[in-house]
Amino acid sequence: MDQETQYTEKDSKLADFTDRLLGGKTAPIASASDEELLHLEQTVLRLTHAFPPDSQRDAKAKQMLVRFKNRVSREETQAVKPSFWKRLFDFHANPQAGLLLAVVTVLILAVVALPFIQPPGSSVSGSAITSGNFYIAAGMILVLLVVYWISHNK
Amino acid sequence: MQNNKTPSHDLSDEFLIQNFRDGNTEAFDVLYLRHLPRVYNRVRYVVPENDVEDVTQEIFLAAMKSLASFRGDAKFGTWLRTLTNHKVAEYYRRRARKQEPRLAPLTEAIAQTTGSTSQSLEERIFLQRALQNLPESYREVLLLRFAEEMQFNEIADHTGQNLEAVKSLFRRAVSALRTHLET
Repeated sequence: MDQETQYTEKDSKLADFTDRLLGGKTAPIASASDEELLHLEQTVLRLTHAFPPDSQRDAKAKQMLVRFKNRVSREETQAVKPSFWKRLFDFHANPQAGLLLAVVTVLILAVVALPFIQPPGSSVSGSAITSGNFYIAAGMILVLLVVYWISHNK
Repeated sequence: MQNNKTPSHDLSDEFLIQNFRDGNTEAFDVLYLRHLPRVYNRVRYVVPENDVEDVTQEIFLAAMKSLASFRGDAKFGTWLRTLTNHKVAEYYRRRARKQEPRLAPLTEAIAQTTGSTSQSLEERIFLQRALQNLPESYREVLLLRFAEEMQFNEIADHTGQNLEAVKSLFRRAVSALRTHLET
C-alpha cells in the first residue's frame, strides 16, 4: 500500500471515529498496531472530554437572552444620554442656565461700558480704561457663544 | 404583518432579519436563540471560561448594530462566524494591550471559575492554548467539527473543498494539535 493510500485510509478512519464519538455512539479505539492513528484518536477523545456538550443548554440560552436584552437597553440608555455641555445649554429643559448666561453677558457688558458712562456734569474722563479691557470682555462673550454653538452641534 | 408579534421559530434567517429591520425587535430574539449554541461553543473553545459569556454577548451586540448594513451576500450564519472570529481576535488584542497573558494564568482562571474541577479546567486551558497556536485553517476545521458540530460533508460544502480534502485537513489539524499539546 503506498503512502498516499495509507493516509487516505487514516483520514477516513479518524473521521469515522470522530463522527461516532460526537454522535454519542461507542467508538472503538484503534489497535496499538497503528500507533499514529491511536495517538490521533486519543487527541480527539481528549478534546471531546475537555469540552463536553452542555446539558443545560436551553435554560442557559434563555437566561443569556434576558441578560443580553438588559445589556442592549442599558447601552441604548447610555447612548441617548446627552453630554454635560448639551444639557447645560439646553435652555428649554434648563431655563436657569439660559438666565445665568444672560446675566453673565449683561454683567460683562456692564463692566466694559461702565467707564464710558459718566454722570451728567462730571468732568472726570474714563481714560483709565484701555481698549484692552474691551477686547477681553468681547473675547469672553465670544468664548461663551462658541461653547454654546459647539455644545449644540455635537 | 409579523410586526409586534413573536416571530415563528421556523422562519428563515433572511425573513427574520427583514422583520428586525422593519422594527420588530423580537425577530432578533429568535435569531439569537437560533445561533447562540454555535457562537457560544465556538467562543468556549478559544476564550477563557470566565469571559465566554461576555465575548458572546459582544458578538450579538455587534451583529444587532450591523444588521442594518448586512447585505445578504453571505448566509447570516457565515457572516456571524466571521464576526465571531473578529471579536475573538479583538478580545486577545485587548488583553495584549493590557499586557495580560494570551490565556489567563491557571491560578487566576481557577479562582474565578466555579463548577469545573481544577484538573478539567487546567486541561481545557492547555487545549485552548494549543488551539490558539494552530494555523488558522487547522483551527477552523477543528472548530467547525467540534464546536459547531458540523458534519464533514457540511464542512466541505462550506469551504468549497471535496470531502477527502476536508478529512485530510482534519487529520493534519488533529496531528498538529497533538504536537502542540506535547510541547
